[in-house]
Amino acid sequence: MPAAEGDALSVRSTERPPRSRAKASAGEDRTKLVGHSRLTPYVLAAPSIVVVSVLLAFPVLYALWGSLFDTDSIGGPQRFVGIDQYTRLFTDPDFLWSINRTVVFVTGTLIVGLTLGIAFAFPLNRAAGKLRFLRGLTIVPYLVSGITTAVIFRLILNRDFGQVNRVLEFFGLPEMSWFSNPNLAMLASIGAQVWSDLPLVILLILGGLQTVDPSLTDAADVDGATAWQRTWKISLPLVIPQLALATVLLSYQALTSLGVIVALTGGGPVNATRTLPIALYETAFLHLRTNEALAIVVVILALNAGLTLVYVGLSRRYDMVGN
Amino acid sequence: MATYTSQTGVLAIARRWLRRVAIGVPLLALTIWTVFPLLMTLSISFKSKAGVSTDPGLIPSNPTLDGYRSIIGQQGFQGAFFNSVVVGLGTAALTLLLAVPAAYAFARFRFRGRHLLLLFTLLPRLIPGLGLMVPLYRLAVAVGGIDKISTLILAFTATVLPLAVWLLVGFFQQVPRELEEAANVDGTNMFQRVRYIVLPLAVPALITIGVLAFREAWNEFNLVLGLTSTPGSRTLPYELFLMTQTTGFQDNPGQAAFAVLSIIPFIFVYLRIEKYVVGGITSGAVK
Repeated sequence: MPAAEGDALSVRSTERPPRSRAKASAGEDRTKLVGHSRLTPYVLAAPSIVVVSVLLAFPVLYALWGSLFDTDSIGGPQRFVGIDQYTRLFTDPDFLWSINRTVVFVTGTLIVGLTLGIAFAFPLNRAAGKLRFLRGLTIVPYLVSGITTAVIFRLILNRDFGQVNRVLEFFGLPEMSWFSNPNLAMLASIGAQVWSDLPLVILLILGGLQTVDPSLTDAADVDGATAWQRTWKISLPLVIPQLALATVLLSYQALTSLGVIVALTGGGPVNATRTLPIALYETAFLHLRTNEALAIVVVILALNAGLTLVYVGLSRRYDMVGN
Repeated sequence: MATYTSQTGVLAIARRWLRRVAIGVPLLALTIWTVFPLLMTLSISFKSKAGVSTDPGLIPSNPTLDGYRSIIGQQGFQGAFFNSVVVGLGTAALTLLLAVPAAYAFARFRFRGRHLLLLFTLLPRLIPGLGLMVPLYRLAVAVGGIDKISTLILAFTATVLPLAVWLLVGFFQQVPRELEEAANVDGTNMFQRVRYIVLPLAVPALITIGVLAFREAWNEFNLVLGLTSTPGSRTLPYELFLMTQTTGFQDNPGQAAFAVLSIIPFIFVYLRIEKYVVGGITSGAVK
């Protein structure tokens, strides 16, 4: 930031104390806290930057590079094949099927997750007094790992002794074999995924609802709006930023979800739940085709980068970075 | 006129009840949605292997600790539990050790490279653990880091570090600079100022980060899958995953007991520090 503008900016940026204290010259501000040289910040930040670049950034470059090679045998010599891995992937019906399954899984997670998130967060926001403990309870699934979530769902959806089938029976519905019917297996996976991610969605929407100005809803009450109208016409439009972020986050989680599906259905039956992460797992660790796996990694990273662009766009638009 | 008011009175009461139902029903559904799967798992964990099918009720008619005995007696479980605790604590400690100085630098200094902070916030979004699984496996093979606890700690630290630095920068910026300047006049050095002024004020943030780091290490599956190959080096999620992969007769009460044992310690920690964690989760999600 140019020093000449320091004074003009200092008023606006009061939320950021260290920066805003640009009194005479921004550049000299740092020397007020003596006892360190110009190198100090670099020394302090270096370990984190090194760890993050070596363990997060380098693997991505490695994946890009490694996906351009192939071997004839496991552990054999690498030869450069250019984009062959990608052209092979995108003409491979199994891989295209995985993309199909991923789209279904992510879309399903979004529909179920956002519907439940809205249905639960709005009443939760109005719950007062003793009911507030429910908010704490809502978080619990967030503490449970994907694998454990899958094991829990395997147990409650079990055809023989699962309680979900008992409940269906009680309502006169037929027993469901959740893990041998392809559509039901997909539904079960979506359910487990939503169960573990719903806390995030609810917390986000709750956070948005708490910033809604009560005078707006009060004004609607005075004008004779029903609770239903108040919710749909006033509160809901005001939390659209949070809903948008929840959409992106849920997509992230569903797109990169391996643990939940691999332990729940293992990608089956007949590949009905073989999403991209499962395809990656099988290619890398069961078939040991590392170069092909790296190409799948790059595809997943590219999709993820697309989501990140949306995320950054949303954050900017709604001014939520730094909030 | 009188009938009119009584009518509106009835209407008002009806409306109030309607509102209670409109809030109560979803909240009841939310409670069932959250608690029912956990309660069922708890119930199955106290049944015998045969009892799971013959006694499908929520409350076991012949409660037994067989499931827990079989799991706790297993070497695989003991080793994985120990590894999870070590990796969890190690990740929390290393994350704080690296994040505190970095966050202090980003919060208090203006230096070339300060813009890296923004990149920090985006990296974990850009690079999910799933994308790291295969490349890190190759990297670990190349440097001989497979099956080492220290490799897991380092990898998990890298995945939580960006969020940790981000959260801490926000907290450090809220510590009034004047406090540090006053101490500076008294002749304290930077280390003392951080130790005695900044850190005590940032304790909630440190707890949040510690818990989030511990949770990451405790629950992460993808990287454990990529970075371990022998039984002695796995953590709990991988061990549980292997249990579900056994063909033949499944030890359902055992799996339920395993699930309960890997959730319970965490729920106790969580209950004590709920308000910090809730704030941390949402800011982690939004930022």
